[in-house]
Amino acid sequence: MNDRKKRLFGGVLGDNIVLSGLMVISPVIICGDTLKNAEALIYAFSAITFLSVLISSFVPRKLPYAAKVIVYALISALVYIPVKLAAREFYPESIERIGIYYPLLAVNSLIVFQTEAKFFRMKKGEMIISLLSCIVGFDIVMLLTGFLRELWAYGTINSRIVDMNTLIGGLSQPFGGFIFLGLMCGAYRFIRSLISKDDKNVRSDVNVSDK
Amino acid sequence: MFLINDLITLLAANLILSQALGTSTIFIAAGSRKNLVATAGVITVFTTIGAAAAYLIDLLLQPSAADLRLLFYVIVVAVLYVTLLAAVYKFRDRWFEELRRYIHVSAFNCAVMGTLFTINSRAAMDGTMFNLWGYVSAGLEAGAGFVIAALMLTAAYRKLNSSKVPASFRGFPAMLVYLGIISMAVYSLK
Repeated sequence: MNDRKKRLFGGVLGDNIVLSGLMVISPVIICGDTLKNAEALIYAFSAITFLSVLISSFVPRKLPYAAKVIVYALISALVYIPVKLAAREFYPESIERIGIYYPLLAVNSLIVFQTEAKFFRMKKGEMIISLLSCIVGFDIVMLLTGFLRELWAYGTINSRIVDMNTLIGGLSQPFGGFIFLGLMCGAYRFIRSLISKDDKNVRSDVNVSDK
Repeated sequence: MFLINDLITLLAANLILSQALGTSTIFIAAGSRKNLVATAGVITVFTTIGAAAAYLIDLLLQPSAADLRLLFYVIVVAVLYVTLLAAVYKFRDRWFEELRRYIHVSAFNCAVMGTLFTINSRAAMDGTMFNLWGYVSAGLEAGAGFVIAALMLTAAYRKLNSSKVPASFRGFPAMLVYLGIISMAVYSLK
């Protein structure tokens, strides 16, 4: 994959915001225990992040960094209102299930910090493609986590009972979420190192987005 | 005995271990003692003063306008953010460059916002908590919880990042599993 493609589509797999960037992990750990929660989080995250970053891209670049960060947070807090109102209309159950993690999606580091560090250094078209790939990357992780944790913790898929001999109830708990995400990150890095055949890339120290 | 009870309560109510709030921030804080002290200090300032302001917002905000809560909380954190930056710039000019990094990291993240929303939802469930002291003490408690969780992670930080850990799991995958095990222990205390 050349550099340009990597920059545009890396967010899906190569540079996944959850597994590689360690962003927006609290909702994945706490709420990602069923497919229904995953769907609701995907809707909220995708809508809030896409609209917020798009609107934020019109903020003048000349403003001081601190002022820009505040404006981005205010924009996402405003975008959150219609998104939540729409959710109340279409996904009424989701709001209660996600609880405090709904508003927290609006102040995620992808909007507040990565806009400045990554997206606004690109042209508009490229920015939209890169942003969409980051959102799709989150959605894939969220779906996978919701599906596997629901299957192993409750023995159901989208609330339908399936034939499972062994259940691991702890996976539905926060500690199960931490351990599951840790194992998933490790597996992701292992696969990535196999593909890139350059394991120095995966030997980095703690790679935190807003470090 | 009271101290042990308090410690258990503090651990069980820990926002990082029980709600995963501020997990990525704690990975930054656990990197060194300097990071730990600075990040924990700034986060505690944000959660404590922010909680006091959140109390006033919750007091004045009508239930019909509850969707505006995030906006008001963001404004509160923004004011605190600017005030803290200005204060550090004015009074600690020499440390400004160093300290502002921690202020940037601590301002808009799940640890601070999550604390404010958690206090709000706890107060909605338990009416006795709906007072200024209830909010401020919960904000302080969240800051203390952050320090405890960061200390636990700092203790194992080097080992989890050492070359003995398989490359794929070195660093934050191992730290997530470690936090999960600590969280499991805390869960059993509830």
